[in-house]
Order: sequence, then structure tokens, then C-alpha cells
Amino acid sequence: MGQTRRDFLKTTSAAGAGALSGALGFPMVSRAQGRKLVVWWNRGYYKEEDEAMIKIAQDFQKAKNVEVDISFTIQEDLLKKIIAAIQARRVPDVAFCFYNDWEVMPNYAWQDKLAETTDVITELKPRYNEKFVQVAYCYNNVAKKRAYYGVPIEAQIMHIHYWRDLLKEVGMADDPDKIPLKWDEYWDYWKKAQDALRKKDPAKYGKLYGIGMTESTRGSDTIYNFEMALLSFGGQLLDQDGKVIADQPKNREAIVKTLHWFADLYNSGYVPPDAINWSDGDNNANFHSKSIVMTPNPSLSIPAHHFFNAPDNYFFKMATVEWPDNPGGGKASYMVAVKTILVPKDAKAPDLGKEFIRFVLEPNRFAQYIKGANGRWFPAFNDVAKDPFFAKGQVGKGGPVDYHIPLATKLYLERNVKVFDHWKSPANSQVYAENIWGKAMARTNVDKWAADKAADEAIGRMKTIFTQWR
Amino acid sequence: MANAVARPRGINGLVARSAAVFAPRARNLQGLLFCLPLIFLFIAFVVYPLYFEVTQALDRYTYEVLFADPIYVQTIVNTLTYVGVAVNVKLILALLLSGILQSDSRSVRFLSAIFLLPWAIPVLPGILSIRWMLSSQWGIMNLIMEDIGVGTVHWLASRWMAIGALITFHIWKYLPFWTVIFLAARRGIPRELYEAAAIDGAGPFQNFRFITFPMLKGIYLICSLLSMVFTLGDFTNVWLLTGGAPGDSTHVLATLAYRYTFLMGKIDWGVGVFATALPVTLLFIFILIKKIK
Repeated sequence: MGQTRRDFLKTTSAAGAGALSGALGFPMVSRAQGRKLVVWWNRGYYKEEDEAMIKIAQDFQKAKNVEVDISFTIQEDLLKKIIAAIQARRVPDVAFCFYNDWEVMPNYAWQDKLAETTDVITELKPRYNEKFVQVAYCYNNVAKKRAYYGVPIEAQIMHIHYWRDLLKEVGMADDPDKIPLKWDEYWDYWKKAQDALRKKDPAKYGKLYGIGMTESTRGSDTIYNFEMALLSFGGQLLDQDGKVIADQPKNREAIVKTLHWFADLYNSGYVPPDAINWSDGDNNANFHSKSIVMTPNPSLSIPAHHFFNAPDNYFFKMATVEWPDNPGGGKASYMVAVKTILVPKDAKAPDLGKEFIRFVLEPNRFAQYIKGANGRWFPAFNDVAKDPFFAKGQVGKGGPVDYHIPLATKLYLERNVKVFDHWKSPANSQVYAENIWGKAMARTNVDKWAADKAADEAIGRMKTIFTQWR
Repeated sequence: MANAVARPRGINGLVARSAAVFAPRARNLQGLLFCLPLIFLFIAFVVYPLYFEVTQALDRYTYEVLFADPIYVQTIVNTLTYVGVAVNVKLILALLLSGILQSDSRSVRFLSAIFLLPWAIPVLPGILSIRWMLSSQWGIMNLIMEDIGVGTVHWLASRWMAIGALITFHIWKYLPFWTVIFLAARRGIPRELYEAAAIDGAGPFQNFRFITFPMLKGIYLICSLLSMVFTLGDFTNVWLLTGGAPGDSTHVLATLAYRYTFLMGKIDWGVGVFATALPVTLLFIFILIKKIK
């Protein structure tokens, strides 16, 4: 039977009324259910991390009688999700992404899209490692002032990992204490290892390289490598107020030396040719497959992988060692990135979000969480850093000495550390996001530019970016 | 007059005239209501994105910033090279190959099936395989190069080598598809034309010049435009094969827009990059529609 016009209008009216009641009625039911907290958290590298955070969320839910909606996302996807959410103003109450400190916080604090967290920082200040807390002290271009716009929780620093058994195979000293730390001797040591291994067994080691140095625009490892070397050569890019000083003669000279050094290293034949295409995981993969003797890496993800999958490697066949002393003498200074929690300004429950952050960061609870990462991160709080885990590492869980975590702890506590400069200006975030130093390396390595020409292009680009952010 | 119809007069006439006027409108309303979901989807997924893109793209400052970035200018050159070379070489080869595959012999039919394989292989494993093959350290290409005495070639470590690899992959992957299209078009050319030409003593080249190409030129143009539109927006192949490396020197517009939007959080710049391609794409689509009509 055909449908009459009247039937049709009845049906559509009913459907319309239903839809309207759905749109208006159900949220009211939901609102009646009580407070809800939405948390977006960076998925951990190890299940212990995620399990610890789920437990914290459940404890918070019980303790505060609120509904906690926590979701875990891998860092690359979470960064996009957070950026899209802030743009669309449909945000979570708490967002923790490993890229927050570099790419999200300086930019959106500038745009007044993040809630101020000075109250939380003030409460936590007695517990903080002072070196780390400034990472959240960003400029708000609407309020025209600096304030805290995030809560730093954990740090990562540059380490050098190497295969002890490869050194041993060609009769070279493999104990971390025996690795020469003077600049030239240090780098020559790995070159010598490559030569010796290739000579010993050309079939097996014909494609092995001594130094797994990432020099690409695709990897954030490049930024660490460049800034570490720049510090070693005594250069600075920004002053304390966030103004570009890279063009000052002393700093320009250091930049030129740094780029020259990277170009020489790449062209020396001791760095894999594909290192100029590497993304952050590629040096890890090359290290795991033993196609490089050593690699700089800004977290302990490489040893942690072996701790879980091949403890014998972790305790006996590999070790972690310091970045070499400066060419001009003196111990190396270290670049540190400090991972930070945010509360977006458009959050529905920002106060509840801050309450959750305080809850997470209570010493015992946070210690459980950060130890779940198996030493990948170092706590931003002195009380948690005193946990014996950070001094002794994984001792007793497969070997008598941990050659990784205690070394990292020593770097954080005993060496001069410098937080990355993103917090000083969102323009610097852009400088890093564009990876202009990786681009400068490509100029010298691929386009065969002279280091001073590549340095001038990069400095010029840096100044242009800073001009655009005024 | 033959067509004149006597109209009813009085109240009955008025009712009849009203019904005649309103009935189609009511039917239109009903039709409109049925179309509403589609209209809503069209507004949500076509009109709004286009409006968003155009309004964002009208910001002059975005272009000042983009043109101040040397990577943007380099990217435009890359995109033109990628689209221009990959599409044209691919289609010329497809046109020629379709002539070979037109043969009815069994061996050619078997070869046709093999030839279609690259098109059937999913993009991701295809590109990852090519990346491994081109690895400077471990790739099979370098093993062959070393065996024949050429030495190690850094395939993806220089801008033009990497773009060459991209173009080669594109041709390898999509050549079969367009060959099949041309093959179908060739089969639509009446055999009588070739028979008549043969009587006049025409050879294969004359056949191609005076019969095949004139008969195919319309579809060749349409294929070129379609392929250019597809290739202009290609993100997957470039991102998976080079990721813009080395040194951000192999970006195309789609990957650069992604880099700005999602890696740098600059949505307006990303939209600005897409807007660069928009007039060209719209022009292609306009020509395409005119041609099809």
C-alpha cells in the first residue's frame, strides 16, 4: 500500500520529535549522574605504565566519587588529537602527551587556550627539581604575562648506548669507565671499532657502522644531537628572555663548527648513509640489529627494550655512557626535555582536572607510575627521585650491575642540565617543529653546502620565524 | 484552437485551480524532505569544508608566511615535477603497452595477468618493500649495484634520487590500471577502420597516427586530467616512501600540508598549502566535466 502524504508527515514529525528529545533530554540525564573527568593520557611504552595509571584513575574515581573517563593514545596520534580538540574547543579536562612541552604548551599558552596551573606548581614547588619546573613557565600573549601553563612530571636526557660485546670481540676496552671521554678520542673510539670489526669479519660486519648519529629532519633525535653538540662547542641560540642570539659572532661560530662537525662525521663513512632519513625509531632499530656500534638516544628506551626481551643483553652485552667532554675541556652539559600535563582552558571541569593531577603526583602513587616505565623517565620531583630504583636500577633482576639507569640518574643530578628552550617562545617550538637544524645538516650533507652558508640560512630562518610570532 | 480546454467556472473551478497549483508544490516538499539527509551530508562534508578552506585560504598573511619558507617553494617545484613527469610518462607507457596487450595470443594474455599484479598489491607492503630494496645499507638494489661494480648508491639520501624513486614507484604501481583503461578504449575502435587503412597500404605507425590516436585522444585527455587530480593530492606514496626526507626536500603539497597541520599545529598554513592546489584541481575538474559533456 502506498504511503499517503499524511502518513509521511506523521512519521517525519515523530522522528523529528524523537531526535529533539534525544538532543535535549539525554544530556540532562547524563548531567544528573554527577561529575565526570575526561583524561587523555599518552599510552606508555610498557604495560606496567598504563596499568599503574589505570589504577590511579580507579582510585581517584573511588576517592572523589567522580566518573573518570581515561583513554590512552600513542604520542603521534595524541598530539594530533589534542591540537584538533583545542582548535574545535572540544577538549578533555586533562591531557598528557609526550609532545606537550615541545609543541602544544608554548603555542597554546601564547594563544590563551590553556588553563593556568600556577596554583598547582606553587603547591608542588618544595618537591620539584628546580631545573625542570621552568619548562611550564610560558608566555600568554592575551594576558601579556608569563605564568605556569602545565605541570611538569618527568624528564628525558641524552644517553649514548653501545654494544660491549662488539668492542670485546675486537679486543677493545668495553667497560663504561674505560671509554675515553675526551672529545676527539671519544668519537675516534667508535670509528676504530668499526674499522676493527669490518677488518675482522668483512662478511659479517661489512655493513656495520661505528656511530649511529641521526642527522635527519624527520627525527626529534636530531634536535637533541644538534643542541648537545652546540653546547659542547659553546654556542647558544636564545638568551634568557627568549631573544635570538644565534647570530652573535660567538654563537654563529659555534653553530658553524657544530654543522661542520656533523657534516664531517656523516661524510667520514662511519655513520650509516640512511641516517639522514632516519625517524626517531630508526637508530633504535639499527642498534637492536647490531648494525651500529653506538647510538645517542634521548631516553632509555633502547636498554629497556632489551631488559624485557633479552635481559642478558641489558646486563652483560651493552652499556650506557656519557656524552664526551667538551672539545675545549670540561664536562658536557645536557639538554633535558620535561614531559608536562596540561589542562585546556575550555575544559568542562578544570578544577577537577587539577585535583586529578595533584592526586597522580602524590609521592608514592607517582613513584609507582614512573617506575612502571622502567627507568625511561626521570621524576621531576626530588622525593620520588630518591627512590633506590633510580640509584640502583634493575639490579638483581637478571644481573649484578645495571649499566644504564644509575648512569642516567648521575647525569640528571650531577651534570649541568639545560631545559629545551621551547618555553621561552612558541617561535622556538616552531623552529624545532620545522627541524631547521636537521635541515641545515641536510644542506651540508646532501646539497654539499659549506657549513657557514647552511648556518646562515638556518639562523635567517630562525629570525624570520621569531619575527612572525611577535 | 485544438489545444484549448474548457475551464470549469465558479467555486468548483477555484478549488480545481488551487489543487492544480498546490499539488506539485506538496510533492516538491515531500521530495525535499526525502532529500534532506543527503543535503545535510552535502553541506556537512562538501560545502562546509570548502567554505572553511576558502575562508582560511583568503588570509594574505598565510601566504606571506608560506612564501617565506624555502621548503614551500621547493615543494611546489617537487609537486609539479612529480605530477608532470609521473603522470605523463605513465600514460604514454600505458598507451603504448595497451597496444601490445591488445594482441589475442595466449602468451600476451598470460603476461597481462602478471602485468596487473602491481596494481593489485596494497600500497603499504608495496612501498615498504621498495624502501627496503632501496636501503643504502641492506637493500637488494645496492647489492646488485655493488656486484656489477657501480658501488653503493644512496637512493633515498638525495633529493632528486628520492623524487626519481617516487616517480618510479608511482609508474610501477599505477601503470597497469591506466593500461587497462586504454586497452578497453582501443577495443572500442571499429576494426573496419584498420581494414580500410590496410587496403590503402597503411603500416602500424600510420594506423597509430591516423586512426588509433585520433580515436583515443579524448579519453587520453580525460585520463590525464583524472590522473593529475589523483596525483596532485597524493599523500600516501610520498609520506611512506620518503616522509619528505632528506632534509624536507621531497615534500609534495599533501605531505607539506600534513606537516604544517599535524606536526607543527598550524592548521591555517596547512589549509593554505591545500589552497595552492585548489585552483589547479578545480580547473582540471572543469575541463574534465566540459570534455565529458
